[in-house]
Amino acid sequence: MSEAIFDAISKAVTEGEEVEADRLVEQALEAGLAPLDILQKGVVHGITRAGELWKANEYFLPDVILAADAFKTAMQPLEPRLKEGTDGRRGGKYVIGVVEGDMHDLGKSLVGAMLTSAGFEVIDLGIDVPASRFIDAVKEHQPVIVGMGAYMTTTMLQMKTIISELEKQGLRRGLKIMVGGVPTSQEFADEVGADAWGKDALDSMQKALKLIGA
Amino acid sequence: MANPTLELVHGLLYGNGFRIGKLSSTGRVFATILGSHGDTIPFMGPQIHDHAMTVARVPARKYYFDARLLVDVQLAVERWYGFDTYTIIPDAYNFEVEALGAKMIYSDDAMPTVDTNVPLIKDRADLEKIGTLDPSRGRIPMGVELARLVSEKASGPFAMGFFCSPFSLICQAMGYPKAVRALKRDRALAQELFDFAENQAIFPYLKAQSEQPGVKQSAGADAWAAFPNLTPELVQEWVTPSAKRLAERGKQELKMTVMAGLAAADYCEEDPAKFDKEIMFKCWSVARNSFVMDVALSAMGRTQDWDMRWLQEFAVQHSKLGRKLPIYASLNGRFMRDSSPQQIVEKIKEWIDIMGRDGRLLFFIANVPADTPPLNVHTAVQSVHTLGRYPIAKDLASIRSEPPGFQPFDQWLKDQPEADTIFKAREWQPEKKVFA
Repeated sequence: MSEAIFDAISKAVTEGEEVEADRLVEQALEAGLAPLDILQKGVVHGITRAGELWKANEYFLPDVILAADAFKTAMQPLEPRLKEGTDGRRGGKYVIGVVEGDMHDLGKSLVGAMLTSAGFEVIDLGIDVPASRFIDAVKEHQPVIVGMGAYMTTTMLQMKTIISELEKQGLRRGLKIMVGGVPTSQEFADEVGADAWGKDALDSMQKALKLIGA
Repeated sequence: MANPTLELVHGLLYGNGFRIGKLSSTGRVFATILGSHGDTIPFMGPQIHDHAMTVARVPARKYYFDARLLVDVQLAVERWYGFDTYTIIPDAYNFEVEALGAKMIYSDDAMPTVDTNVPLIKDRADLEKIGTLDPSRGRIPMGVELARLVSEKASGPFAMGFFCSPFSLICQAMGYPKAVRALKRDRALAQELFDFAENQAIFPYLKAQSEQPGVKQSAGADAWAAFPNLTPELVQEWVTPSAKRLAERGKQELKMTVMAGLAAADYCEEDPAKFDKEIMFKCWSVARNSFVMDVALSAMGRTQDWDMRWLQEFAVQHSKLGRKLPIYASLNGRFMRDSSPQQIVEKIKEWIDIMGRDGRLLFFIANVPADTPPLNVHTAVQSVHTLGRYPIAKDLASIRSEPPGFQPFDQWLKDQPEADTIFKAREWQPEKKVFA
């Protein structure tokens, strides 16, 4: 039963069927399946598949947006259960967002979900986030990590500006910064002064944990 | 002032083999579009508002609010560069939503932008509340005056007013993700949104433009409808019919040519690893119906990494009366900004070699970024005009290009009709508010 429901959740997320994805996740939780399994084998599997189809030119931006919607809807009943499972042993606040001018939601949402499952309290600023909102969020939430995503070579350059501004305003002390997204690389992360580069969602989660010494 | 009709006839004759007399810039464009080629490859005037403002060193808070200044700056800068046509537009995507009440961000050194954190349309109920555009609000009077001035000063077939096309307007009002969700999941809402954009937002603006002397046409850019934001299928389903409705209403009620959906389906995939010939061909096919002219179109895409043999193949495949479609070959704005003059020259040689030898090639830049070095733009225009002179040299690669010669802008401007307006604008100061 469990494999069938994981497959169904995955399919609903990939195809952007948010109502169905939500219903299936609730059903899986009621059936007593482990939240982490539902996340990884169902929800994350589905959104990863959408990403693969996007890469293969079989999905286009509108399809990806719907898949991301379904992903977020499916995460709603899961998130509280995932947090319960971490026993407060690790984590802290993690501010995440996609830089201004960039509308690509999928990768960021995926990283956010993985971080939540790892026990971080994720403050998601969304997409197309101006530098000032990153700065304000750091002041307001005092996170342990800020993560910035970009899909385009043009928009990724804003990460450098944001990091400089954080330094200028004296907000960098004790704050770790991660960058990620298709055009970024370890070299780019080094160049802009980030503490870590997230190659993909899993890698981002692992590096975030490493940054806080968990 | 030149006579556009005579220029058209001269271009038509020249392009079809009667090569007598010296072609004007406009004649050169007509020769390329209506015949095989002119004396040299034309370079169409690009969208240049932020860059022109930077070159002319005028303050954004005046430039984007004063039709005469904006028109004069763009006329002067485009003539300084030597483009063959004018494209005179401000931040064309903002006017209607701004007048309808969208929260805007104004800046000292850049164009106004919509504050995406506070969308004008949050849900369906907002459509009722917003109502119909009042042409006396926001910068609509400026847009109307701009259409009049462009028709008066630029004249000819490329003089036109501007507006924001329906899909882009919807994105400006509610954000792209919500707009796309409506198209894919809620057809009734999508239809309501298009109806609102066409009839309550855009049409009153077009009507105001049509009441100005000389304004016979208006064009609506639609960058939000470019690929991959929308697939060619979605453009055909939503954007093309909407553009047809607006064109029909403009013709019937305003006696005006209304061209919506420009740049819809423009192939803008950023990742070269994902460039796909089949999808490109689909996009170009749809874009043919969305542009001012029937051309093989490139505009905002990452064209520096394209295989231009595909665009040439498409143009030949869709030949009419034994002639390939004219090709709009657009040098990417970021490529223009970030490349060296030599890299630009090499790209132009490559493209002329592939697409220019059999004529019907026009060069273009979709949008020149503010901080593009003027040297790069001069290099591009002069290289196209010299390397593109017919008959095209057999071995373009071996031609050594010289740095372009040009006067500094201010020195050149002194003798131009726009000098006064531009120099005075530099002294402009915002009014200081006095509080009692």
